[in-house]
Amino acid sequence: MQTGELLNNYNVEPNVWDEMYAALSVRPQYQGVVEFLQQMSIEELNKKEELAKRLFMSQGITFTVYSSGEGIEKIFPFDIIPRIITAAEWTYIESGIKQRLKALNLFLKDVYNNQFILKDGIVPVEMIYSSPHFLREMHGFPVPHDIYVHIAGIDLIRDHDGTFYVLEDNLRTPSGVSYMLENREITKRIFPDIIPRSNVRTVMEYPVILHRNLVSLSPRQTANPTVVLLTPGIYNSAYFEHTTLARLMGVELVEGRDLVVDNHRVYMKTTAGLQQVDVIYRRVDDDFLDPLDFQPDSMLGVAGIMSAYRKGNVAIVNAVGNGVADDKAIYAFVPAMIRYYLNEEPILKNVPTYQLGRPEEREHVFGNMSRMVIKKTNESGGYGMLMGHTASDEEIDRYKHEILRDPRQYIAQPIISLSTSPCYMNGRLKPRRIDLRPYALCGPDGIQIVPGGLTRVALREGSLVVNSSQGGGSKDTWVLAG
Amino acid sequence: MLSRVADSLYWMSRYMERTDGILRMLRINYASSQDDIQEFSWKPVLRIFSYLDEEKSTSLAQQSRAVLQYMVTEKENVNSVLNIVTRARENARSVQDHITKEVWQCLNDFYHTIRDESVNRNLYIEDPVSTLDVLIRHGLLYYGTMDITMARGEGYAFINIGKYLERGVQSADILDIKFSDLQYDVERMDTTYWKYLLLSISGYELYLKTYRTGFDARNVVGQIVLSEDFPRSVLYSVNQLRRYFERVKSDGNKEAWKKIEFMIGRIQSRIEYSTVESILRQGLHPYLNGVKEELYEVGIALNHHYFAYS
Repeated sequence: MQTGELLNNYNVEPNVWDEMYAALSVRPQYQGVVEFLQQMSIEELNKKEELAKRLFMSQGITFTVYSSGEGIEKIFPFDIIPRIITAAEWTYIESGIKQRLKALNLFLKDVYNNQFILKDGIVPVEMIYSSPHFLREMHGFPVPHDIYVHIAGIDLIRDHDGTFYVLEDNLRTPSGVSYMLENREITKRIFPDIIPRSNVRTVMEYPVILHRNLVSLSPRQTANPTVVLLTPGIYNSAYFEHTTLARLMGVELVEGRDLVVDNHRVYMKTTAGLQQVDVIYRRVDDDFLDPLDFQPDSMLGVAGIMSAYRKGNVAIVNAVGNGVADDKAIYAFVPAMIRYYLNEEPILKNVPTYQLGRPEEREHVFGNMSRMVIKKTNESGGYGMLMGHTASDEEIDRYKHEILRDPRQYIAQPIISLSTSPCYMNGRLKPRRIDLRPYALCGPDGIQIVPGGLTRVALREGSLVVNSSQGGGSKDTWVLAG
Repeated sequence: MLSRVADSLYWMSRYMERTDGILRMLRINYASSQDDIQEFSWKPVLRIFSYLDEEKSTSLAQQSRAVLQYMVTEKENVNSVLNIVTRARENARSVQDHITKEVWQCLNDFYHTIRDESVNRNLYIEDPVSTLDVLIRHGLLYYGTMDITMARGEGYAFINIGKYLERGVQSADILDIKFSDLQYDVERMDTTYWKYLLLSISGYELYLKTYRTGFDARNVVGQIVLSEDFPRSVLYSVNQLRRYFERVKSDGNKEAWKKIEFMIGRIQSRIEYSTVESILRQGLHPYLNGVKEELYEVGIALNHHYFAYS
């Protein structure tokens, strides 16, 4: 088959924004890629797909699934067709995320200190105190440079008219950035020359900026502070990402058992004795960070690390207790925060969100279940979700019952259709739903967003859920220079 | 360097060295099983490299293909090449930021190759030497990549400490078991027997160049224990062990370093000031066993003073 046909057979769904096609013609930003695809035969494309798989496998860009005592290596599915974002779109996204993060950071500082926003009644007090991620341990202590969110992943989606919406803020330990970096490397291999020709901005700066920010947070005035990346260990599904980032930044990758706290200082156990640690980029959740303060049976953390943190002897990135700001119930208040702290109108839109804790909103949602998605406020990764349009009556009834037991645990949003992007599947181009997670880095010098991000794609036909745990894959994401 | 990292590098290296040893041993023994020596048996190999009991290894002793499968791809055998490479890779995986990307890819490719179903199948129906050669080449690629890409820091020192400790023990083991099969009779003039032993540790050509008088068990002992130039001799391994241990000397761990340095130095002198005659007078088995015991003690001391992190 010829690739010309490949493009002719691409059928855009009605009432959905397609990233490549608009009114039966290819959008200008996709022109270069389309021309490139047209020069190739299906056999060549299949070969490219094979090559991508092999590269992921041989470089160990995998996660391990353990079953019956044996580890099986899996790759995170990768679609070879890049997702392209224009310079104008990017400027808009960038300014929107910066504004949002500025407000969220101020919010975290506020709720853990003076709580003006609660006193002024902008965010209800019970919202904060009922959040399992609000940690009293963080109250009234100054974090370095007043930065709580050093690394953020903001999930964006596009509705049928192309408007960007923020779906979720990830302010704890957002993952996936290694795929942003690796997907680009793979694309360079499978589509030679096309990246420089297309004027694509580089994402290579990410580890450099992150490292610079981490070093600048060191509480000790020393020329060469010790920065470490704390991982839960090789059984963690994001372990590949932890090693990649440690390698790209040239910092030590440590596990909880490598660290010890003595006299409110954190040390790592080395072959030459103990060495003091200044900055910890942790990829361990709050709950497991310190068995003395949180989960007492956690083996992943370090006993006493919170005391060292509170004494200001070590910087922890991201700050502890950030979960209170990316809670799905707090999400609804972010536009209000932006107005309250910054006196600005929000640039990026929120998806309308119903608090099921409020009886009148709950009634509305219960009456329109088929057009709603219900989410648990403290779950992530696509777990604890109900998509109203595909759920059976039975499921809906069960969910209603669950919700009534503890309504604060749930929110509802109207189903947003999500834009589609072409995916190469079994010799054909097919539209699949996508989202976008750009990664923002906040340091003492301000917020920087590397031009790119992770485009996640729901590989199952008709699916609106892009999470990798729910059968999602990813694409290389190109941001074009002006 | 983190203790845990040093530990993982050390074990990654020991496992890779063991892999190389096993594969070469299998390759040459398979060749020898195809030769017309009357009493070829896989028993010595099984005794060195597996934990099979007497009965089980006797039943396997004449079945080349079954032994190859058991030693290379059997999941139940903790010492199969598959399991050892898996462990080497697991260790490497946890220290990826301390080995180069090239080394990691080498190990990762090796792992994926040996896990492929075709290896098992080919060992059974095709020419097993070709399959073993593919695997041996993966190991060589690892050694070469290590040499060319790795920085000569502390990590590299621990990698070599692991490698030469493993090699020293392995050579002593191989020699001991091969001789025990002959009831330590040094007067045996079985040319093929010695030839295959030397071939299995890549020492045949050196032997021919060094000793012009044909095969003599005494010379075999001389080369495998005392040669300074033979890279698989016990002395060479201990010399290298000492050399790389020198490099991890630091102010932070002076006492421990001195203690272990003393232990290695003692083994080195003990071998250096031996002759074939003195070894045989003492008894080959007690001598080799003594060296092995002391090398194990070095391993235990390293674990205690350098790798302990729990």
